Amino acid sequence: MTKAEKWVPYFFLAPALLLIVFFRLLPAFSGFLESLYATSFAAGGVKTFVGLRNFQDVFADPVGLQSIWVTLRFNLIVNPLQIGLALLLALLVNQALRGIDFFRSIYLLPIAISLNVTAIIWGLVLNQYGLMNGLLRVLGLPAQPFLQSPNQALWSIIMMASWVGVAYWALFILAGLQGIPTELYEAAEIDGTGVMQRFMHITLPLLRKVLVFVLVADTVANFLLFVPVLILTSGGPQLSTNTLMFEAYRRGFIFGDFGTSSAMIMLLLGATLAIVAIEFWLLRTSD
Amino acid sequence: MKHRIRYVLLGLLLITAMLAGCTAPVAPQPADQGADQAADAAAAEKTKVTWLMLSEWPGTDDVAADFMADNPDIELVLEKVPFNDLFQQIQIRLSSGSDTPDIVSVDVPLVAGYGVRNWLMPLDDLYSDAEKDDILEAAYAAGSHNGNLIGAPQFTSTQLLFINDDLFEQAGIPVPGPDDRLTYEQIAEMAQQLTQDSDGDGVTDIWGFSWEQTNRIYQLQPMQESLGGQAIGDDGLTVEGVINAQPWVDAYTYYSRAFNDWKFAPPSDSDEPELFAQGKLAMMIAGPWQIQRYSTMNDGAGPGFNWSVSRHPYFEGGEIVTPTGSWHIGINANSKNKEAAMRVVNWFTTSKGAELWWRKASGDFPAQKSVLALFQTDPQFQEGTFAYMKTAADEATVNPVPRALTPGFLEYEQILQTTFSDISTGADVQSSLDTAAQRIQREMDKYR
Repeated sequence: MTKAEKWVPYFFLAPALLLIVFFRLLPAFSGFLESLYATSFAAGGVKTFVGLRNFQDVFADPVGLQSIWVTLRFNLIVNPLQIGLALLLALLVNQALRGIDFFRSIYLLPIAISLNVTAIIWGLVLNQYGLMNGLLRVLGLPAQPFLQSPNQALWSIIMMASWVGVAYWALFILAGLQGIPTELYEAAEIDGTGVMQRFMHITLPLLRKVLVFVLVADTVANFLLFVPVLILTSGGPQLSTNTLMFEAYRRGFIFGDFGTSSAMIMLLLGATLAIVAIEFWLLRTSD
Repeated sequence: MKHRIRYVLLGLLLITAMLAGCTAPVAPQPADQGADQAADAAAAEKTKVTWLMLSEWPGTDDVAADFMADNPDIELVLEKVPFNDLFQQIQIRLSSGSDTPDIVSVDVPLVAGYGVRNWLMPLDDLYSDAEKDDILEAAYAAGSHNGNLIGAPQFTSTQLLFINDDLFEQAGIPVPGPDDRLTYEQIAEMAQQLTQDSDGDGVTDIWGFSWEQTNRIYQLQPMQESLGGQAIGDDGLTVEGVINAQPWVDAYTYYSRAFNDWKFAPPSDSDEPELFAQGKLAMMIAGPWQIQRYSTMNDGAGPGFNWSVSRHPYFEGGEIVTPTGSWHIGINANSKNKEAAMRVVNWFTTSKGAELWWRKASGDFPAQKSVLALFQTDPQFQEGTFAYMKTAADEATVNPVPRALTPGFLEYEQILQTTFSDISTGADVQSSLDTAAQRIQREMDKYR
């Protein structure tokens, strides 16, 4: 290989690397710098270097702490729920059942609708006079406040996010399922194994890499989930859906406090990097 | 030789005509050609000015067309955004340093906040002396920051109690007249009688009372002010001990009970003006723009029931206080079309444009004295429900109290808005106001 040839791969990689640098790394670095400054409007909008004070403020502020707790709570519930349901859905769609073709064509519909529209539709469905309360009344059950209740709003967001997320992640798992050789199942069946044994000893181990990817990608997506909160609850009621992502938006774009907002985004970025690190660790042990 | 030149010219003319025929089936007449060229030239020279405004305002395209007829060198583009999104959109676009929109509609208490951020250009040269004299002094002062006008006054406002007369009569309650002023205590009593589940399915069909803007400080502030409360500390930056003091707690205890105990107010995410229009809300505090809306509904036939207005309520033994302040117009400090934008703002906030808006568009109260005077003389406002505009014009003079004068108004309003929503869904009043005070105080510190 000549010296010039050594550079060929980098030449082909250059467009992607440049995009990553300009659209990922530089904004992240700029956000980090912003998180070290505070703006004083009394002094005519002058930015002052404050070191890590914005980060301390996030942890000292009850609203900041609450938003971290809401983010963790939301993710601890939504990720296992979505992945569990997505796995079940993929297993179902992978079966040769009667009418499955029709089901295969409709279960993906939520993905085809933009998240903004989905959020607006769910807002109407969960309204006091919406479809959901209409159904409850028909069944003789009391109407529920859903998005108006601090005890139900986060669950409503989880339900909405899962309506889209389950179908989306099921696609990846289905691809993984269809990559498992059928001979393995046939051999196992001849050996007299049951359905659960085949699932535990063939399906799950061979789906592991796909599941790890889905787990990581889903967690990252849910950590950064923003649209349903903005459209449906604006972080309320009583800050029960005030995720760190939404609080960062509110601090920056509504209150003009870009320092604290950037500190929150850096915390989210840190959490996301930690998840990616876990992904590498899990993949390494599986090889 | 002469003939030769003629033949050549004729030939050229024919070729030109044939080529023109390829593109235009009918050859334009000389006069049309001239007009087209002028139009093309005007289009090429037109300055495009964008104005970010409320989508709820009707008739704005008509008035924009009137402006462009008067000013053919300017193309005015209205970017219309719903009320709930407008403030955030202004905040995001102006804070990014964008050169568009050129013009923004500014809710007057936000003038100071936009001023400290240098988002709006000074408009001190906008008016002649005569034009300036025609503007309400209070509105001019409210649009100024550090002595400079940065928000040109377009409207002022007040609030009235809208009443569904038919529902009152069905419930056997005497309908208050346009000059009567109920207390909040009377409203609570009447509203409970008026609230109905007519088909007994456990769902309320007729609600007793609510506000047009259920969780905005603009409409709610007179409650605590009536009880002796202050909007904000005297320095314009202190809220601790002010917004969680007893008058606020008492006012929002009433507010909470309206939703949670007495249950005469519909959930805070309802569309109250629409509920009123459908005959499902017996009383509503709303702006005079709803007089225009309900009077012109169904080609002027109205909403299909008898309705009227009375004066803004107050707490028994408390002070009579009415909301005030409204929309102003500012020019983006980064606009590349400042001169054209100045002409737009001048036209819309002086006599002709202000009057055309008042006649054709939103029905808001103009901030121009000459247009306000038309309420008393214009035949349109002398009879029928349109005459309630005269009641509103008079109510606007009864102890109007502006909203908090603070550069942090946006933070103040946004946090209070979520707090009021929380209270309406059952959150404890005192602890909600305490939390709001802490949160707002924290945001105010960046203005010290």
